[in-house]
Parts: sequence; structure tokens; C-alpha cells
Amino acid sequence: MTSSTAADPPAGGDTASRAALMTVQGVSKVFGGLTAVSDVSFTIPSRSIVSVIGPNGAGKTTFFNMLTGLYKPTVGRITFLGKDVTGTRPDLITKMGVARTFQNIRLFGTMSALENVLVGQHARMKAGIVGSILRTPGVRKEEERIRVVGREILDFVGMPASSFDQLAINLSYGDQRRVEIARALASEPKLLLLDEPTAGMNPNESDRLTQLMRRLRDERDLTILLIEHDMKVVMGVSERVTVLDHGTKIAEGDPATVRSDPAVVEAYLGKQG
Amino acid sequence: MATTDAPPLPSAAAPARNIFAELLSKYGLFAVLLALPVFYGIKDLRDQGDLSPLATNIFQGLSNGSIWALIAVGYTLVYGIIELINFAHGENFMIGSFVSAGLWGTLGLTLATGPLGLVLGLLLTLIVAMVTCGSLNVMIEKVAYRPLRSAPKLAPLITAVGFSFILQNVGLLWLGGSPAGVPDLLRAQDEVATIIGIRVQRADILAILVTIPLVIAMVTFINKSRLGKAMRATAQDPDAARLQGINVDTTISLTFLIGGMLAGAAGLIYALYQTTIWFFQGFQAGLIAFTAAVMGGIGNLKGAVLGGLIIGVIQQISDSRIGSEWTPAIVFGYLVLVMVFRPQGLIGEETREAG
Amino acid sequence: MAVASPAQSTPAPKRYSLEGGLPPVAGKVLFVALAVFAVLLPLLLDPISSLLSDCIIALAFVIMALGLNVVVGFAGLLDLGYVAFFAIGAYAVGWFASGFFVDANVYVGVSGFVLNLPGIHTNFLIVLLAAMILCAIGGILIGLPTLRLRGDYIAIVTLAFGEIIRVFAVNGDQIALPFGDANLTAGRQGITPVDQIQLPFLPQFTQLDLRPWYWLVLALVFVTLFVVIRLRDSRLGRAWIAIREDEVAAASMGVPLVKTKLYAYAVGAAIGGVSGAFQASYLNTVNADQFAFSFSIFVLAMIILGGLGSVWGVVFGAVLLSFINSYLIPDVLRTVPKSLGLEFELTDLGFGIFGFLLLIVMVLRPEGLLPEKRRQIELTEGVGTGESTFEVRA
Repeated sequence: MTSSTAADPPAGGDTASRAALMTVQGVSKVFGGLTAVSDVSFTIPSRSIVSVIGPNGAGKTTFFNMLTGLYKPTVGRITFLGKDVTGTRPDLITKMGVARTFQNIRLFGTMSALENVLVGQHARMKAGIVGSILRTPGVRKEEERIRVVGREILDFVGMPASSFDQLAINLSYGDQRRVEIARALASEPKLLLLDEPTAGMNPNESDRLTQLMRRLRDERDLTILLIEHDMKVVMGVSERVTVLDHGTKIAEGDPATVRSDPAVVEAYLGKQG
Repeated sequence: MATTDAPPLPSAAAPARNIFAELLSKYGLFAVLLALPVFYGIKDLRDQGDLSPLATNIFQGLSNGSIWALIAVGYTLVYGIIELINFAHGENFMIGSFVSAGLWGTLGLTLATGPLGLVLGLLLTLIVAMVTCGSLNVMIEKVAYRPLRSAPKLAPLITAVGFSFILQNVGLLWLGGSPAGVPDLLRAQDEVATIIGIRVQRADILAILVTIPLVIAMVTFINKSRLGKAMRATAQDPDAARLQGINVDTTISLTFLIGGMLAGAAGLIYALYQTTIWFFQGFQAGLIAFTAAVMGGIGNLKGAVLGGLIIGVIQQISDSRIGSEWTPAIVFGYLVLVMVFRPQGLIGEETREAG
Repeated sequence: MAVASPAQSTPAPKRYSLEGGLPPVAGKVLFVALAVFAVLLPLLLDPISSLLSDCIIALAFVIMALGLNVVVGFAGLLDLGYVAFFAIGAYAVGWFASGFFVDANVYVGVSGFVLNLPGIHTNFLIVLLAAMILCAIGGILIGLPTLRLRGDYIAIVTLAFGEIIRVFAVNGDQIALPFGDANLTAGRQGITPVDQIQLPFLPQFTQLDLRPWYWLVLALVFVTLFVVIRLRDSRLGRAWIAIREDEVAAASMGVPLVKTKLYAYAVGAAIGGVSGAFQASYLNTVNADQFAFSFSIFVLAMIILGGLGSVWGVVFGAVLLSFINSYLIPDVLRTVPKSLGLEFELTDLGFGIFGFLLLIVMVLRPEGLLPEKRRQIELTEGVGTGESTFEVRA
């Protein structure tokens, strides 16, 4: 969970001057003739919170899926920490330090909150097949450690200790969102991708989530990429906003600039009413 | 913003590689399929200077394959609409053969029956076999698949295997454990003609004459009728279909009915064609026909027919050149190759459409 | 994904729990009692009774079922070609511990009169190891092509592989090997006899006293149980549940799909190989006709009946079905059809009965007789039915 970012300018400084954690260059995705994402370039500076917004069907989630390795870009290049990760397997990208949540929560339903977080630590564990059968002292210690860490993370995202052993399927919607973030944090990411994390939350809950995001950036040196629908959340928390419409980038900049951009108003805000 | 100094992209090379990969994936399978006939064609030319043995193989393979095509259509229809491998479908075909042979006995059809009696008797048999197998298929869906429609995919597949075993056992009790001969009503092996070195038997004519019109009729029916539209709607999105006033349960039942009827017809033709039937014929036929359906692109009717014909040819070449005891391994080898390298089949993109 | 949708944001009315069943202490007591009973059982039976023989076969099937349960129950990969590993394990015995290769005279770790026999004769423990390694390799080779496939396609590809291996077993007598007058499998004629088991410090096993066979297979059952339970509760076991429930989420959490699935195939196959090798030695033959598709379904029926994923359920299902097959149908109920005036042999119904069991259990009680809680919840809530196609390259 500790950051390895070399240069660490104060949060809220000039984002463009900071080292880029992830760079996306001219990425497109075509599904059987249909272009879902077209020639999008974009940079995520270290220790920032940036957002991608756009109306439904703008290609946000497709874009997200390319960053995490679920989709391979048809053209274009994605680099993370200076390494080319275009078309790299999702588990390897996670291992390098990118973690995500899903728009339509994908917890492992029959696992407890804690077990979900244990799976999140998979990439940070060493236990092999023989060690697991013999349950060597090393494996034993590792299992103890990941449970301690797992409880810490659940606590950090605000889960009550009484819910740690509750099955994911039993948890309330807000708690499921929290556990999903905890599971992502468990993989010790440098970059956290949140796909519409406030969907279905009431204003109170989404306020708390916004605070959590700030704490993650400030206390844990995380970089966060947010896909959001809720304009209030995006404008309040992001340092920079990228707007997608029909798969293309139509605007980019700080929240205030984007909000007043006529193209954005036309494509997004206008449609939202 | 930070993207202004982006280095040049490898965009020119990437699509070229993709096109190459696509060509390989699309035509690589054709190449692998052609390997067997081309190899033996060259061998024939070298050894005898004549392609007629290979041509005979191919012709007989096509006539044999038309039976697989009939069964494959049943697989593809069902998969197209509810994404389920109806594993009991091959056994349904076996029951079709058994019902047909049983009915011949009841009707008293023998080698001595005159042409008119034979035609009427076989027509009646065809109708009975189709109705029996169609209803059986509908029953299987109601008992074994419908209760599990919202369960994980493995559940209905397991009940399908269970049903297939039950039907095999019915066949075993019916005619015993070894292949049983049935009257060679059409004198299937009689040669009708030899055209450019290809020996044409009565069985081949039967298979082609019955199968092709049946398949064309079915494909046309499904493409043109209201049922066809309902099937396509159900395949794409059952809930949306329901909202449009389509009775999804009835549509699925009718799909099983049509698939079962074709299997019944295939059962009759098989009995006339091979003149031996046994309880285990459905297992192998089922796997072969399933291979055909996947090869053509599951959910695609024309693909199933094409796949059936191709598999028929491969099987015939393997039977006569390599040895029939190896044929299952060769057919299943192709099954694995297709499923792994081109799971969407020879024709058609990945689609759930039944048509 | 079935975990939740915004519409369900109110607390779910049903609360599921993995707790329940026996309290841990009672479970342990029950296990110890059963284990002691199992160890002492042969002392109560005639050393060459057919009942003892049925018990030995039942325990061999327990191993087999535990192995298949790793693949199907833990990792959720429906394998319809499991018989392949029975075959490979059995041929390990046929090749390395019999007179099959008459031109060879190789003796490894054996003593007594086999030293006078031609062929390759290897100590059973080494054969067991060879069987496990061969099967693990076979499992990986069969598993590799299925990695990117959907669940139902996996089932068919494994079935096809099982049939391909059977065809090779049946026709293997046509495949000449490059040394001596040897072929691959002896086909339907079979390799018989094979070496009787010799273990260090113990007298050679014979067919005149079945008790050592029984204790050996019981020991193998205990080892298998130990291994599968340890794996289930490990990092790998959690990864198996994760990919079974949601591959996309699992991969995104850093679980390597290929490796995790191949481990399941390899472990399951190796366990199947152990049982195959033991059964070949015990039955004193390796015959191609043993390796039919129905064998795979027989083992599958055991784990479905007992409870997919449930270790104790699988043990119970295997013992139950094995006894139905080897004792109840041929010995006890054989005369029932005749007494009802029906003209057939009940043994002919074997297939149908197991097919019927699969159908009934799956429709009425899909979680099995001794369900695993997780699976039960998955089946009732439809967990794991979510869309999961994505472009992960192997």
C-alpha cells in the first residue's frame, strides 16, 4: 500500500507537470465494424484524481476495460510506469499495480467480505501448490498476514467489524461497493480505477465515498481514475475531467473549463437536462 | 495537455497483422479440412493416375453427411435459441431408427412388399418417426431443461447427459446390446449408375432426395414464418421477446419439436441406409452431428448443413482409407481443432441468431 | 452478475451463511469414529469375501471422485472425459509393472519371483508417481485447448479427448513401438496379468488376502482427502472459487486464469491416475474396454449425487454409487425384474439408473445429498451465470 512514486509534488499542484503514471496514446476499439472507442489519448498524472465522463454508450467502460487488460485495443498504445501494457493480461496488469471496481459490482457472492479481500491479495502472495498442501511455516505466516491486512483494509473503507465474515451476497448495496473498493485496494495498486462507484448511492453515501477517495490519494498516495455519471461527484473531486462522446474525446481540462465547454454542454449536460 | 508530445503510433502495422491473423483464422480451418482429401487425391493420382476412388469417397461422404446435417440442424436450432447443448439429441435420433424399424414390423414391410405399399408404408413411418421424436424432444425440454433455465449452465448439460443415458438404456432393453439388422427395404447397396467413375447407390439417392428438400423446407420455414421471427427474438433477448408478446415457452417448445422431427427423419433414413441399428448409434452420431454444428457455426442453420456434409466426407475418407476404427478419433480431433481455433465456426460471426 | 443490482439496494430478505451443519467438534468426532471403523472393517470380514472386494473398489472410486471434484466442484470446469486419467494411470501399471514389454528386462525396486519374469517391473510406489506425472501432463495437455472456451464447450472438448484416448487404447495394438516386438496398449485383449503390489517392509500382496489391498487404498484415500482439503482452504482454493464464480473479476483481481485452471486439471488428473494405477493392479488387468464414456459419467454422478464441491458429500456419493453398482444391482436386486414378470437383466439397467439419478438430483436437489454451502447458494441464487466473455489471451 506504500507509494513508490519518486517525485512527490504537493497534491493539487499543476497536474501537467507531474510524472505520468499511465499514458494512453491514440487508442481505438472496434467490435465487428462498430467503433466503440476512437483515437483517445490521455494521461494520468501520479497522485491525482482524474475522471472520464460521458453520456451512456459513450465508450467509457470499453475504455476502462482496455486499461485493465480485459479488452485489447484495436490500435494504440497504453503504458503504465513507463512499460508498454497494451494487450497485457489483466492479472499481470493488476500485479503491476492497477486495480479496479466494476460498474455492476462483481464481488464473489458466496465469499465473505474478508475472503473477497483475501482474493484481492492473490497477486501479492507466494504460496505455491506444494507449500499449500504441506502448509509450511511460510505459508502459515502468509495466511495470517493477509487476514490482518484484509481486516485493516475493510476497516479503512469503513466496514463495521461485524460484517467482515458476512457473505457478500448478504451485504447492503453500499457495503458491497465498499468491499469492492477494499478488494481492489488489497492488491496494493498504484492506480485505482473506479467504474461509477456512486451509482445507486444516496447523496450522503456518495459524499462519504468522495471523502474516501481523497483519503486514498492523500494517505495512501494512490492515483484514482473515476468513471462517473454523477456530475456533482466528478466536479467536486477531480483535478481534471475528460469527456467522451460516441467513443471520441470531445473535451479535456479542469472541471470548471469542461463544465462551460459548449461541446460538452451540447453532448452531455444538454442531454441530461 | 500532456498528450501533445505523443510519439508516433504503431497504427500502420497493427491492422495489417490483424488482417493476417483473421485470414489465418478464417481460412486456416478450410485448409486443415482440405488436408485429408488433397492428400489422398495426390496419392490416388500417383498410384493409379485416377481420381475416381476419391470422387466416390466424396460422393458417398456427402450422402452420408446429409444424415448428419439433419441431426446437426436440431443441435444448432436448440443452441441458437437457449444456448444449450441438447446432449440427448443423438439418442433421440437413435429412437427414431428404432421406432421406424419397429413400425416396419408392425406394418409388415419386407423385401417382398410392392413399390406402392413400400412408398406408402415408408411415408407413414416417416410421419410416425418425426412425430414421436418431436414429442420426445419437447418432453425432454419440459422435464430436464425448463426447470433449470436460470441455473448455472452446467446444470442443464448434466441433466442432458442423464437423459441421454436413460434413452440409451431404453434402446438397450429394446433391441439388446449388439447391432440388429433391419430389412434392407430399398436394397440400399444396389448400384444405380456409375457417373464419371463415381458409383451411385440407391442409398445415396435416398439420402439426398429426402434430406435436401427437408432441410430446405425447414430453413425456409424458419426464415419466413412468424415462428422463425419469434425464435430469433427469443434467441436475442428472452425478456424483450416476452414484452413484445412472444410466448417464449411455446417458442422454445416448438424449436425442440422441429429439431426432434428432423432427428426422427434422420433416424428413418439411417435405418434404410445402413440397414443395421443399435442402441449406441446415437452417441456417436450425436457427437459427429454436434461437431458438424460447431464447424458450421453453432446457431447457423446453413452452417449446420455445410458442417454435416463436410464431416460426412471426412468420415468416409477416414473409413475407407485409414480404417473405420480410427474415424471417431479423427472426427473428434477435428472437433477439438474447430472449437479451439475457430469456435464461431466456418461461416458466420459470433451470433446467437437462429437463422 | 447476480450479487446485486441497484434494484436490490434494500437489504436482501434472505441471508445466507456458510455456517450450519455439524458443529466443528461433532464433525471431528464423527470423522475419527468413521475413520476407525474404516480401518477396523476388514477384521470383521472374510479376507477374500466379495464384500471386502466391493469395499476396495468403492474406496478406489472415492479417490477418483475426489479428483474429479477438484476440477468440476472446486474450479467449476465440467470435465466429461475424466476416464482418460483412469486409462493413463492404468497403462502406467501396464507399461511399467507387467510382462507386457517382453523384450525388456528392467527391474526397479522389486524382489522375489518377478525377477525371473520378462518385461518391465517397477515398484508400485514408483509406478504411482509415474502415473501421477503422466496424468498431470495429460491433464494439462487436455486442459490447454479448453482454457478460452465457455463452460459447455469445455465439457464437449474434454469428452472428445476422452473418446480419442479410448480409441487409441482400443486400437493401440496396431501401433508398433520402435523397440522389440511391442505395441502401445494391447487393445481389447488387454494387458494381463500385471504385477501384484510390493511395498517396502511388507509381504507381497496376493489375491488370497484382500486386507492389505484394502488398507493400502484406504491410506490413499486419507492422503487424497488431506491434499484436497488443504488445497481447498489455500490461496489456490480461493482462486478456484473466484474463477468459478466470476472469471472477469478474478482476472482483474490478479488471479492468473490459465495457471489456476491448469492446476485444477493437473491435480484432478493426478488423483485420477492414482486411482487408475491402483485399480489396474487390483483388478490385475488393463483393458481398453474399461475406458468408456460411461465411466466418466459414473464418476460425475457420484459427485453430483454427493454434492458438487463438498468433499464429504463426494466421499459419500462415491461409496453409495459404487455399492449400488457392484453390490445392490448385481447381487441384491437382481431377481426383482423376474419376480415382477419382466424379461430383462437388472445389470443391463446400470446406465439408465445412473442417468436417471443425474436427472433427478439435478432437477430436485442440485446441491446434492451433503451439499457444500457455497455451491448451494450459487445454485439457488444463480451466482456464476453472469456474462464472462472477454479477450484474455492465454
